[in-house]
Amino acid sequence: MMARRRAKATPKGKDEDVRTVAMLVTAGIISLVVAISVILAPIPQVGPDEGNQAPDFVADAYDGFGWNEFRLSDNYDWDWNGSTESKWFLVYFMDTDCPYCWVDGDEMSQLHSQWSDRVNFITVAAELSIPNHDSTRGEIEAFRDKTSYFGCNSDRDDCVDRPGTPNDWPYVDDQSMTIMDMWGLSATPVSFILEPDGTVAWNKNKHQSQGGDGEELSEALQRLVGGQ
Amino acid sequence: MMSVFTPPLIAFIIGLVASCYLLVKGRGASGEHGTLGVLNASMGFSAVGIVGSGWTWAVHNSMIMGSSSMCATEGLVQCGSVIGDPQWNNLFGIPWGLIGIASFALIWFIVLSIRMDLHAKWTSGYVDMLFYVSLAGVPFVLWLVLVELTMVDGAPHICPYCTVIHIALVGMVACSYSLRQKRDAGTWS
Repeated sequence: MMARRRAKATPKGKDEDVRTVAMLVTAGIISLVVAISVILAPIPQVGPDEGNQAPDFVADAYDGFGWNEFRLSDNYDWDWNGSTESKWFLVYFMDTDCPYCWVDGDEMSQLHSQWSDRVNFITVAAELSIPNHDSTRGEIEAFRDKTSYFGCNSDRDDCVDRPGTPNDWPYVDDQSMTIMDMWGLSATPVSFILEPDGTVAWNKNKHQSQGGDGEELSEALQRLVGGQ
Repeated sequence: MMSVFTPPLIAFIIGLVASCYLLVKGRGASGEHGTLGVLNASMGFSAVGIVGSGWTWAVHNSMIMGSSSMCATEGLVQCGSVIGDPQWNNLFGIPWGLIGIASFALIWFIVLSIRMDLHAKWTSGYVDMLFYVSLAGVPFVLWLVLVELTMVDGAPHICPYCTVIHIALVGMVACSYSLRQKRDAGTWS
């Protein structure tokens, strides 16, 4: 009778808890997979710090004719070996309502006339969460082209009065602040110089913040691009 | 132009086919033999998921640095415009490949635990957990398929390695559903 009962009993699990072993085996396998992945393709250092790969972005950009999709890395020379034939990049973050960016108009125009044969200029137009910083694509177009549109410079000026000349480089729409977030930025204007392969060579925040060496954008262009 | 059918992709497809075979065979068999068959299929699917995710993570890292030697970058079936798209190739900054490794690692752990002790007190709960964890991945798969077909640069595109991982997850849902059925029908062992 007892023997029959034992035979019909539900099978019992093992005395030891196998989950610890399962956990260790899983950890081992995952470590192996991660290690092989990293050997196949090392984890790149991506970020706005000098020496890192600049965070890539895809967004609509205005080129003077219309808004088209623009991807930063499409313009890189991945095989750059230090030659002077490849162009560097100046990525300039601004807001059409930012008074400092308004004033910067002159310097940007001057720098472009000096360096456009060696440097691709790219402006990223953000919209900071500050009163009177409501931007539109029309305002970005007018700021770039220096055409009449009242609302630039914290809604104080007509964009046609912006200092400097009309710009002929792409203006990327970042009113959503997506690119600003990716680059860890919260204020404008900020500029970055990138090597032709997308490596950050100069970060304004590093040089012009407290403790920085105070190097200006024009000096940095001269040192990095002009010194080649 | 790089061929779509690279050795890693062929290996993943073989893994999926083998796992599907084990699943069909395990579902048909009754008792412990059938349960072990479905669990072996689950291990196959989750292994393809882990290794495939690791591969896509490596592709992701290589594409950030401009390399395209690990996957085709042109045509309808390619990785360049999917894994290489900075807007869609991550979730809150975490590459999808890493998320896949972590998710399939959890699935692998649950499957391995059940496989190592079919009759433990916690086994029944783990079978449910396996089903719900697998099912939780389905919305992400649907989202990523939508992204590659409609949202990435030059859409539609089909990322072959991503598709392998998506199929592995669907396979896991089928396996975990089958395990629940076996448990509920009393044909577990």
